[in-house]
Amino acid sequence: MNYKREVIGDNIGFSTIIDSKFNTCSLYVRFITELSNETSAVNSVACELCTMSNSKYRSIEELSDAAAELYGGYISDFSGRRGDVQILGFSSQWICNRFALEGEDITEEMLDIVHGCILSPDIDTKNGGFRQNNLKIAQNNIISAIESRLNDKRVYAVNRAYEIAFRGEPAENDANGTIEEVRNVTAESAFKAYMNLLETAQIEIFYVAPEENVTVAEMFRKSFAEINRNPREYKICSKSPLKNPPENVTEEFDVNQSKLLITLKSNSDDYFASDMFNIILGGTPVSKLFTNLREKMSLCYYCSSNFYAEKNTITIESGVDRANIEKAYNEILHQIDEIRNGNITEEEIQSALLMIDNDCSGIGDTPAQYFSWYFSRFCFGDSITPQEYLQKISEVTKDRIIRIAESFRLDSSYCMLNKESAE
Amino acid sequence: MKKEIIKSRLTGDNCIHVKHSSGLDIYIREMSGFSNVRALFGTKYGSVNTMFRTTGDTEYTTVPEGIAHFLEHKLFENEECGVFELYAKTGAMCNAFTSFDKTCYLFSCSKNYTENLKILLDFVQNPYFTPENVEKEQGIIGQEIQMTNDNPEWRVFFNMLNSMYHNHPVKIDIAGTAESIAEIDADLLYKCYNTFYNLNNMVLAIAGNISADEVLAICDEHLKPCEDNGLETVFPDEPDSVVRHEIRETQPIGIPIFHLGYKCTPVTDSKEKVKKYVSASITAGIVCSESNEMYSNLLNNGIINSSFSCEVFSGEGYMAFIFSGESSRPDDIRTAVINEFARILKDGVCEKVFRRMKKSAYGALIRQLNNVTAVAGMMMNNTLNGFGVYDIIDTFSEITSEDVYNFIKSDLTEDKLVLSVIEKAGD
Repeated sequence: MNYKREVIGDNIGFSTIIDSKFNTCSLYVRFITELSNETSAVNSVACELCTMSNSKYRSIEELSDAAAELYGGYISDFSGRRGDVQILGFSSQWICNRFALEGEDITEEMLDIVHGCILSPDIDTKNGGFRQNNLKIAQNNIISAIESRLNDKRVYAVNRAYEIAFRGEPAENDANGTIEEVRNVTAESAFKAYMNLLETAQIEIFYVAPEENVTVAEMFRKSFAEINRNPREYKICSKSPLKNPPENVTEEFDVNQSKLLITLKSNSDDYFASDMFNIILGGTPVSKLFTNLREKMSLCYYCSSNFYAEKNTITIESGVDRANIEKAYNEILHQIDEIRNGNITEEEIQSALLMIDNDCSGIGDTPAQYFSWYFSRFCFGDSITPQEYLQKISEVTKDRIIRIAESFRLDSSYCMLNKESAE
Repeated sequence: MKKEIIKSRLTGDNCIHVKHSSGLDIYIREMSGFSNVRALFGTKYGSVNTMFRTTGDTEYTTVPEGIAHFLEHKLFENEECGVFELYAKTGAMCNAFTSFDKTCYLFSCSKNYTENLKILLDFVQNPYFTPENVEKEQGIIGQEIQMTNDNPEWRVFFNMLNSMYHNHPVKIDIAGTAESIAEIDADLLYKCYNTFYNLNNMVLAIAGNISADEVLAICDEHLKPCEDNGLETVFPDEPDSVVRHEIRETQPIGIPIFHLGYKCTPVTDSKEKVKKYVSASITAGIVCSESNEMYSNLLNNGIINSSFSCEVFSGEGYMAFIFSGESSRPDDIRTAVINEFARILKDGVCEKVFRRMKKSAYGALIRQLNNVTAVAGMMMNNTLNGFGVYDIIDTFSEITSEDVYNFIKSDLTEDKLVLSVIEKAGD
C-alpha cells in the first residue's frame, strides 16, 4: 500500500492510497464546516441535490442511467456530525477498466460524472438555484431520515442521550437539522449554501485505487483554483463541560423494552488510556459490562460502551426491563468503580490489546477502511498509521487506566421507559 | 480427499471444494494481498426446521419455535469457559447468527487464523447444555425478543409473512416467543443438536489470507467423523393462496413503513431455482431503478423516498418478491406496482433497460468478489441454499429478457399480493 497526501488548494488535502489488490476505484470528498441550527439542514439538502443531476446529466434519470451503464458505478452524498462540526460530502465507487466487457473507459467516464456533480452542479437558469423538482425530493428524503429516527428505538435513545449531554454546544445539533429547517430550504438558498461550502469548508479528498492516476488530483486542483477560496478553521474536538449535579432525563414510550443510557465525561488528555478504559468496560463480549450484566445477571441482551473521542465522553447503553432499570444502573456504576479500584486483570488488558491489534492489522482490506482510518486521523489532527496507534496504546499501563477511569465522571443519563409496565 | 477447483465462467474467480472424510463440505478461497480471514461454520438448520426425523425414528419430532436460535446462543458456552473468552486470547471477532434456514458461527481476524479456526471447529462440535445455563439464557433471549418486538422493520416483515403463509414455518419469528422458549430444555437442545449438527448437514467456508493446505490439515485434526443420520425435514402443505391481502399495525414511530410482497411459487430443482432467483433479482433492479417511470412518478410525487427498495426472499418451500420502504401512502404504491407489472406484460421488457441492469449487476458482483467477508458469505449462502458457489454470478450472463418476462407473468399476480403497514400511533 502506498499512501500520500498533498495540498491541492487553500485548505484542500488530496490523499492517494494505492493498493494493487483492489478491483475498484473509490473517491471520497469531505467538507468540514460548522454544525449549527442555521446551516446544517440547508447544507445537507444541497449535497443531496448535487448527486441527483449535474450540468451534463440534467435529471435523476439521465444521471442514474449513465452510472448504471458504467457497471453500476455510483455517487452518494453524506451528512454527519463529528464532535462540534458537520461533515458533508460524497462517496463514489466504480469497477476498474480491466473488467469492462465492452472496452469502456469506466474511470474516465465516472470521474466526469463525479466531477460534474461536485464542481459543475445542475443550475436552473430561471432562479439561479438548484432544480425545484429535485429540491422537493431531497427535502422529502431528509425529512424522512429525521422522522425515521424514532423507528429505531436504540438509535433514537443514543441521539437523545447526546442531545442531553451536549446541550448548549454545537454537538447537540443534528447533522440534518430540524424538519422545519429542512422545509424552509429553497432551491436558491441550497445553491448559495453549496457555493459557500466550496469556498469556506475545509476539504479533504481521498482516492483509493489499484494504480496511480495523477489526472484525478489535477482535475480537482484545476477546478478548485477557479473558486475564490476563503476557508475557515473549524475545531472538531472539544471537551464537553461536566454537568454538576448529573442530569437524569426520563421519557415514557409505548414500547416493550426500556433503554438506559449513561454518559460519562473526562477532562483528561490521555486519549489512548480512555480508549483502553472503554474497551475493558464495555467494548467487547468479554468486557465487564457484557460479562456481568448479560452473562452473569441475565439482565439484558446488550450492554456496551462507546468512546466518543471528539467530545471526550463515554456513553453506555443497554436494553432492559423497566423493573430492572435501577439494578442495571447500579451495576454499571459498580463496574466502573471496579476499574477505578484497580480490579483489572492482566488478561483483560491483553485481550483489549489483542482486539486492537487485530483491528489495526486488518485496516486496508476495503477502500472504505483506508478512507475511514486516514480521515479520522486528519480529524484528530495527526496522521499516525494503524501500527503507530497500536504501539501507543500498548504503552498504556494499568495505572493509567485506573487514573483515566477516575477522571471520567457521571454527566447524565437517559431512560426510555416502557409505559405498560408502569401501570 | 480430492481437492476440486470450482471456477466462475464469467469472472474466472475460483475456490477449492473438499468433501471431507468427516462428511463436511469445505470451501476455501485464498485471497492474496488481503490481511483478514473470515470463516463461517454453518448448519442447514434454521427457524423453519421445526419438524424432522432421522434414520430409525418412526415418528416426526416437532420442536418449540425459536429452538435453532436458542441452540446458537447456547453453543457459545462450553464446559470450561465461554467461547468469547477463548477468542479474547487471540483477538478475533467472533459471532453467530440464525436465519430462517441456516445457523452460522463465524470469526474474522487478521492474525492467528489457524488458532481461531481450531476454536471454531472445536466449540461447534462440543455442546454443553445444563438446566442452569438454559434458564440463564431464557432471560437474555427474552430481552432480545422484546427488542425485536420494538423494531418496526421486523414487525412489518413478519406481519407480511404471517399474511402470506398459511402453514409454512417461515412465518414464525426466528427467536420464537417468551412462551415457546420457556418450553426449551437441555434434553431438547441435545436432540436438535445431534440431529442437525451432523457434519453431513454442515459447511465450512473460509476466505482471505489463508493457505488451503493449512486449513485442511486443521480440519483433519479437529473434525469428528459423522455417520450420515438420514435427516429428513418436512414442511406442512402450503396452499398457493395468501392468508389475507392486507395487514396494518400501529406503533410509536416517526414515519410509516410498508412491505409489499408477492408470494411466489418456490422451485426445488437447483438449476431452475437459481434461474428464477436471478430473473427475480433483475426484475427488482428494473422496477427499482431511478429511470423507471413508476419509480420516477412515485418519487416526484413524494409517495416514496430513497428508502424504497425491492428484494428477493427465498428458501426451502418459500419465495417472495418484496418491495419495502417508508411511505404514508402505501396504497398508492400498491396500485402503481400492479399497474407497472401490467404495463411490462403488455409492452414487454425493454431490452435497453434489461441490458443496463445486467451490466449494473455484473459490477456489483465484481465488487463483491473483492471483499473477504462477502466471498466467505457467498460460499456459505450459495452452497447451503443448494447452489454452486458461482452459479448466481454465471447465471446472470445467461438470463434473457424473456426469462424476466416469464417470471413476472407467472409469479407477480395480484391475487398473491400482500400489503403490510406499520402506521404511526396518533395518525
